[in-house]
Amino acid sequence: MIKDISIGRYYRGDSVLHRLDPRVKVLLFVIYMVAVFMLKTPIGMLFSFAIVTVLAILSGIPLREIIKSVRPIIFLMLFIFLINLLTIREGEVICKFWIIEITDGGVMRAVIMTLRLFLLIVSTSILLTLTTTPLKMADALESLFGPLKVIRVPVHEMAMMMSIALRFIPTLVEETDKIMKAQASRGAEYDTGNVFVRARGYVSILVPLFVSSFKRAEDLAVAMDARCYRGGEGRTKLHPLKMRSADYVWFIVLLAMAFIPMAAEWIFTPK
Amino acid sequence: MTEHSPKPDIELESKDAVRACDLYFSYARQDMPPVQALAGLSLSIQRGEHVVFVGRNGSGKSTLAKLINVLEAPDEGTLEVLGLNALSEDNFWSIRSRCGMVFQNPDNQIVGTSVEEDVAFGPENLGVPTPEIRRRVDDALKYVGLSEYADRLPSSLSGGQKQKLAIAGVLAMMPEVLILDESTAMLDPISRNEFLLLVERLRSEKGITVVHITHDMSEAARGKRVFVLEKGRLVMEGPPSELFLEESRMKELGLDVPVYVGVVMSLCRRLGKKPRQEYLQSVDTAIQAVRSILRDCDAKTVSDAIGTSRESVSVESTETVLQVRNLSHAYEERGEKVLCDISFSVKKGEIFSVIGHSGSGKTTLISHLNGLIRPQTGDVELFESVNSMVWNTRKNSDVKEIRKRVGLLFQYPEYQLFEETVRKDILFGPLKMGVKPEAAEDNMKEAIGLVGLDETYLERSPFELSGGQKRRVAFAGIIAMNPDILVLDEPAAGLDPVGRRDVFRYIGELRKLGKTIILVSHNMDEAARISDRMLVLSHGKAICEGTPEQLFSGRREVADFGLELPELVSFEKLLLPDYPDLNLSVYEVEEAVDEILRAAVRAGKSNDKTSHEPDPVDGEARND
Repeated sequence: MIKDISIGRYYRGDSVLHRLDPRVKVLLFVIYMVAVFMLKTPIGMLFSFAIVTVLAILSGIPLREIIKSVRPIIFLMLFIFLINLLTIREGEVICKFWIIEITDGGVMRAVIMTLRLFLLIVSTSILLTLTTTPLKMADALESLFGPLKVIRVPVHEMAMMMSIALRFIPTLVEETDKIMKAQASRGAEYDTGNVFVRARGYVSILVPLFVSSFKRAEDLAVAMDARCYRGGEGRTKLHPLKMRSADYVWFIVLLAMAFIPMAAEWIFTPK
Repeated sequence: MTEHSPKPDIELESKDAVRACDLYFSYARQDMPPVQALAGLSLSIQRGEHVVFVGRNGSGKSTLAKLINVLEAPDEGTLEVLGLNALSEDNFWSIRSRCGMVFQNPDNQIVGTSVEEDVAFGPENLGVPTPEIRRRVDDALKYVGLSEYADRLPSSLSGGQKQKLAIAGVLAMMPEVLILDESTAMLDPISRNEFLLLVERLRSEKGITVVHITHDMSEAARGKRVFVLEKGRLVMEGPPSELFLEESRMKELGLDVPVYVGVVMSLCRRLGKKPRQEYLQSVDTAIQAVRSILRDCDAKTVSDAIGTSRESVSVESTETVLQVRNLSHAYEERGEKVLCDISFSVKKGEIFSVIGHSGSGKTTLISHLNGLIRPQTGDVELFESVNSMVWNTRKNSDVKEIRKRVGLLFQYPEYQLFEETVRKDILFGPLKMGVKPEAAEDNMKEAIGLVGLDETYLERSPFELSGGQKRRVAFAGIIAMNPDILVLDEPAAGLDPVGRRDVFRYIGELRKLGKTIILVSHNMDEAARISDRMLVLSHGKAICEGTPEQLFSGRREVADFGLELPELVSFEKLLLPDYPDLNLSVYEVEEAVDEILRAAVRAGKSNDKTSHEPDPVDGEARND
């Protein structure tokens, strides 16, 4: 029934971006996001598009995979495009019927807004989700938010919870499948009947799932205790995050790249 | 551990790995009186020793394991682990880091998102420097043979591999004591054996003390000393062979003995010999004992000792109730086939077993039998002779009827309970299947009686019951649907010997009620004992099918199919050189003893014949 889901959308590879320290990627992701939002002109968009293309080439991820990551937001993009197109009335009217008026300013804004969203999603995917395992992401967040420990934010515990959650997703998926089969053998139906009948059907899955999850959590806590887990204090790591010189170089290069579209916009905009 | 020479250490520290004196422990429960788990337990375990703890569920074995690893603290008594006082808070981490523990459920003890991350978890907690962690992780994975899986997801491993991973995780912490808390209970025989060999290697090569908790007596036989616990007290203690000598006492305590012990003890009892401890050391000594005991007895004694073992009731039915034809299944398109061209038919009223190791496709196969999975190729059909009806799982309209007629109970069915009361839970299935409320109520009462619970349980919450009781309720939930065919996937898995016997008892009763039973198992002994016919699956293919006799006694090597013989049969096989005509197709200890005695009588006669051959007249006279 449900099997073999991949956690996140990590695409296995060994490119520069795959190897880059995840903290650098998280920082760059924030910078790229801001940069894309700052752009206002088609020139800027064009340059930004070029930069994202370069990132895509660096990541070595096939175009097909990148397009897949955009697919879920196609409707959102279409919606934003239409709203901008139909509501913004700037500049000259291009065509008009009934109460709808389309202006050249509107077209421009619609295109820019849609492209902005597109570039945002693509650069996020390339920089983060496609090239970084969820575990590394958790590590990066733990490290970046580390300073918050001073004000007693349980950063380590949150990262540990995240990684345990990731570890248990496949186990729980398997378990859900097993429970569904067992209850179906007892005549439970999940796809027929009215809303109440169906909701009732799901109770027979959710209750056992919760009960067993609590049991697992208890067992796991004992197992972690037995292996001397006592929080983040004094803990070392098999794969500690360590900035290599290559990471610094790439950080500067990619950072510079983030500013190119803005610079281009500034240069080419008539003042 | 391996770096420094152990000699001076042993002199400096205590010789005992564990020394417990008068331990008391009880679990507090909400709104209920506390449960006493340990009641004055005293014992000591030497360093480097392999000790085994056995006892019924709730006898306090697991509690003791937790106390040793200071996961719980005793209410009263003293406890020293590796010479350190386990009651002093200063020693907690020191003891925990030197005692490793492997638990029962492989899934619930893996922390890491990848195999190597999981092995690293312990050393990481201990603050071991990164390069050293790397070294330990690599060494540990190599030792248990999982190196090639280092960057895999733990969920992609098999159960046996997961337990090896757990061992690697412990090994990376360089422990001195390894505690196995029913770690083999969820493994199939082959992975179980591999696991135990690994543990034995750890003990002999690294000098690790092994504390092994189990229900399996052939596992206990591998230990140096066995402790039997009962209600939180130590009731028996000694080398396995010494305990096995007191077979009847063991049985009273709800425990089994290994098959070879059963045979020797029964033989001694019948021939009036006093059983000796050296008979019971191993299968080999047992074989020698059987030989010498029989040699010492005269023919008359031997033939008098043959009991009147009852003929097993075999079903003479020819009516097919379920037919599987050319069934194949792959989870992914063009992927590897989980089932490959399987065909068989099940006759009314028989017990039909499907045997195979984990990963052989058993679960996928039985999921087809009530239409949970629809055939990709091939057919699964259900027959009813009275109205000559046929249902096919391919037809949507037939599936409901099929699920009503084929009751399916998966492994560890406890998890399927969800209602507030036992009554509601048992009624869930019948009511869903459209049984009238009054009839369902009757079914429920009958079912609950059959599984050995009484009606006082009906209003209780299923979640406050013990594991064994939950299993019974789940069982009753399927029986109450009143199916014609019951498909039971490892119904006795994880239960103690008494629980197992109970399960097979009510399977027997169901059969008497005329139910057809399809049993999935990896326990050859149990399957052979109870089945009319068996189907052996391996890697999705049906390897052979037939009665237990056809499978095991035809002198054919079932081992060729990657399956071991029932323990009893392989024991008897060792006697074939002495008694070539020994009947191997018996699966109960007492029947096997009868057969051995019969074979001995026959051998005695033919010996007489050969020795008297030069004088045929004498031989003739004797025959008259």
